Amino acid sequence: MASLTIDKLIKSFGAVDVLKGIDLDIEDGGFLVLVGPSGCGKSTLLNCIAGLEKTTSGEIRIGDRNVEGLHPSKRDIAMVFQSYALYPNMTVRGNISFGMEIRGVDKVEQEKAIQEVADILQIGDLLDRKPSQLSGGQRQRVAMGRALVRHPQVFLFDEPLSNLDAKLRVDMRTEIKRLHSRMGTTIVYVTHDQIEALTLATKIAVLEAGYLQQAGTPDEIYNDPSNMFVADFMGSPSMNLIDGMLLERDGALEIEIESHGGAKITLPAPDTTEMRSFVGKPVVFGIRPEAMTDPDGADRTSPQIETRDCFIEVSQPAGSDTFALTPLGGKECIARLRADARIELGAFAPISFNMTKAVFFDPTTTNRIR
Amino acid sequence: MSAPSQDNAINAGSLTRILIYTLLIFFVIYYLLPLWVMVSNSLKTLDEIRGGDMLAPPKDITFEPWRQAWSQTQIGVEATGLKPYFFNSIIMVVPAVFLSTFLGALNGYVMTKWEFPGVNLIFGLMLLACFIPFQIVLIPMARILGMLGLAGTLGGLIMVHTVYGLGFTTLFFRNYYAAFPTELVRAAQIDGASFFQVFWRILIPSSGPIIVVTIIWQFTNVWNDFLFGASFSSYDSTPITVALNNLVNSSTGVKEYNVHFAGAILTALPTLIVYIVSGRYFVRGLMAGAVKG
Repeated sequence: MASLTIDKLIKSFGAVDVLKGIDLDIEDGGFLVLVGPSGCGKSTLLNCIAGLEKTTSGEIRIGDRNVEGLHPSKRDIAMVFQSYALYPNMTVRGNISFGMEIRGVDKVEQEKAIQEVADILQIGDLLDRKPSQLSGGQRQRVAMGRALVRHPQVFLFDEPLSNLDAKLRVDMRTEIKRLHSRMGTTIVYVTHDQIEALTLATKIAVLEAGYLQQAGTPDEIYNDPSNMFVADFMGSPSMNLIDGMLLERDGALEIEIESHGGAKITLPAPDTTEMRSFVGKPVVFGIRPEAMTDPDGADRTSPQIETRDCFIEVSQPAGSDTFALTPLGGKECIARLRADARIELGAFAPISFNMTKAVFFDPTTTNRIR
Repeated sequence: MSAPSQDNAINAGSLTRILIYTLLIFFVIYYLLPLWVMVSNSLKTLDEIRGGDMLAPPKDITFEPWRQAWSQTQIGVEATGLKPYFFNSIIMVVPAVFLSTFLGALNGYVMTKWEFPGVNLIFGLMLLACFIPFQIVLIPMARILGMLGLAGTLGGLIMVHTVYGLGFTTLFFRNYYAAFPTELVRAAQIDGASFFQVFWRILIPSSGPIIVVTIIWQFTNVWNDFLFGASFSSYDSTPITVALNNLVNSSTGVKEYNVHFAGAILTALPTLIVYIVSGRYFVRGLMAGAVKG
């Protein structure tokens, strides 16, 4: 087991910079999830760690060892691919033992290792089948078995669950989490699914357009996003980003937001030096749907609940919750109400804002105002 | 709504059916006629051929012409039959087919999984080998064979056929491997497999259909080749196609048509067998390679 450190990593394909200076690290035994939209460079970053792509500049260290120029097989890593990449001509047993065979591990040792991972993953009865005779979930297990049998320093997962159906995906997610707590091996995991990122990670790195937007614990990423991209990307439904104006009244800061039909609501804003520099200027007010709710559903432990009347345009019952759409700052905002909250469409209803969860952004730089 | 009409192509009137079948049967006969003429006449005596109808079945079947063609008839100066030339062809075809197939697979592997700058240019140039008329390479090739000391030998013919087969074999394998998932190669690399281990252990075992296609293609082409055989072989390395020509064109004595027919069938037999045995793989394999290019 080992930590992983990435230092000023740049990767270019010809004239195109795909990764533009990534600094990132994960401690020994951590679970790092790389998340971002398609084409953000997350898979390229994983391939650089694996040694499947040559880096342009910068350094990758596994433990204390700089792996620059080292062949993938010498980096002490194991990788699970999106397509599973099981060797179609070999049995499950052959797939799992292939690496050991290449490394010249003796037969008895091999058989022991195969039995061990077969027990962990419950694939003992599949060992003599070909990959084409397995279901999606079973192939996934075999692919993990092939990685596990190496006892690597770092596991790399490249969107391993994206080919599974929704239910199986949830099951395998739990399984991976269980495996991680059992093995304690460092994992780097690529996904575009932010739910996967939030549930699995001890640390999330959000990438966009080749830049690391933010790295932190799931809680930091979710509740304390450092810019509008992260705020918008993580969470489903995503955070409401509402255009407003920061004003000072009677010495206190407040944000003024346009509501339905030209009406305005105001909400208190935190009084910090940085916030004060935005007085009289437009700011973006960010609040998660679950922090905008009906008064009865508001978080009673929160010290700062502000209730305002908002115009309800559409409601979307979703079983466990009811989502209500209300126009704020010229956009449709989503409030998450209790499932049985009584709301009337086309009328004003009281909505409680949990202001301890509110965040503010500078609309020109999209960065957080703290 | 009225009931669906029965008047579609499949259930067309019985008159159309009869017409279709008549036409099909006519073409089957038309295509098989030459084979019939060859087989039936190779089993007749020379007198019967001279005296009668070419299309008639043999009156008393004799295998003498076959025996003649195989081991007794005069070809060139010696009365050896086609036998030694048949084995010349075998000795030439087998290594040429395996070498060109193997090298084509290796080329396809490198060009799809170890891409390097200029790979498309090189592939384009190799494709050219599929389309150049072989007549224009005869003289330079003769010169090179001379320089290598391979002129007039079976080794020389093997080399020529390997080189000129590479265009097609590379095309076949490149297209097949282009559809082969690169992640498998990467997985094997992480498992520590070397360049050739990936090739032997991962790619080749998954290449069954395209190997069959390539072997049939190469076998047929190399076996049937006349131009290179006539140009680059000498007295003891003549392939069977050239020997057949010598047999049929001999200007001394009586034209033994029955022996000629038997010799022609003998010459065509190996390719026919290869195609009949593995023809369905050929069609299937061509499809597999054709999906992605």
